[in-house]
Amino acid sequence: MADKERAGSCVLPISRIKTIMKSSPEVSNIGQESLFLITKSTELFVQELSRMMMTNAADGNNLSYNDLSQIVDEQETLQFLQDIIPKKVKVRDYYALVGKTKSLQQLTEGEEAKKEEET
Amino acid sequence: MLLLDRIFECYVQLPDGVNVSKDARLAISKAASVFVLYATSCANTFAVQHKRKTISANDVLDAMKEMEFDTFLEPLKSSLVAYKKEQLEKKEASERRKKAREEGVIPEGVTEEVGDNDSEAAEENGKDEEEED
Repeated sequence: MADKERAGSCVLPISRIKTIMKSSPEVSNIGQESLFLITKSTELFVQELSRMMMTNAADGNNLSYNDLSQIVDEQETLQFLQDIIPKKVKVRDYYALVGKTKSLQQLTEGEEAKKEEET
Repeated sequence: MLLLDRIFECYVQLPDGVNVSKDARLAISKAASVFVLYATSCANTFAVQHKRKTISANDVLDAMKEMEFDTFLEPLKSSLVAYKKEQLEKKEASERRKKAREEGVIPEGVTEEVGDNDSEAAEENGKDEEEED
């Protein structure tokens, strides 16, 4: 695949990138060169992500979702990804975190259910 | 909008034997899409600041600086030089063919092989991707 990696060309589909760019409502026009550059930057970005994942991974031969969420959490430049690549939390741990709030909620729900029965 | 299969098939320079889980691939794909949106929005802001309606190459470079991806700047600049050169060569080849046709060297209606053209191939492949949807 060495011939595909010429500096002046892209591996990612330019037309698909263009579609994503155009989905932004405030964008009017996109120059050919800027379309090329955004496509190229996205390729560089993906390379950078995988490089960071490999550096930080517990097992450098098997990259998992957690390796990604870890670097998103830690790297400032990846802050824009925090909402879409959240850390996974075990249900058990989640309940422990919200334990008190949950029982308060259950109490409130219980009271409301009682009121409905009475009316 | 998933970009990912192509990335992993052809481009991510992972050493042989490195596996990436399905969850991770999906997430990276989403991250790539969000990156495009973020970069576009950022570049567009620069274009608007300069009272332009078209995003230029410099707007994109400024956006990378703004997003703190300074390490991308030099590779992007070199790629841009290579890209412009290729575009120029394509244009010149096209003009030469046109001239040859006008002078009767190549009969009308005969299309000449342009040779391996990555950006066109990429666009065609892009079309294929859209058809798959």
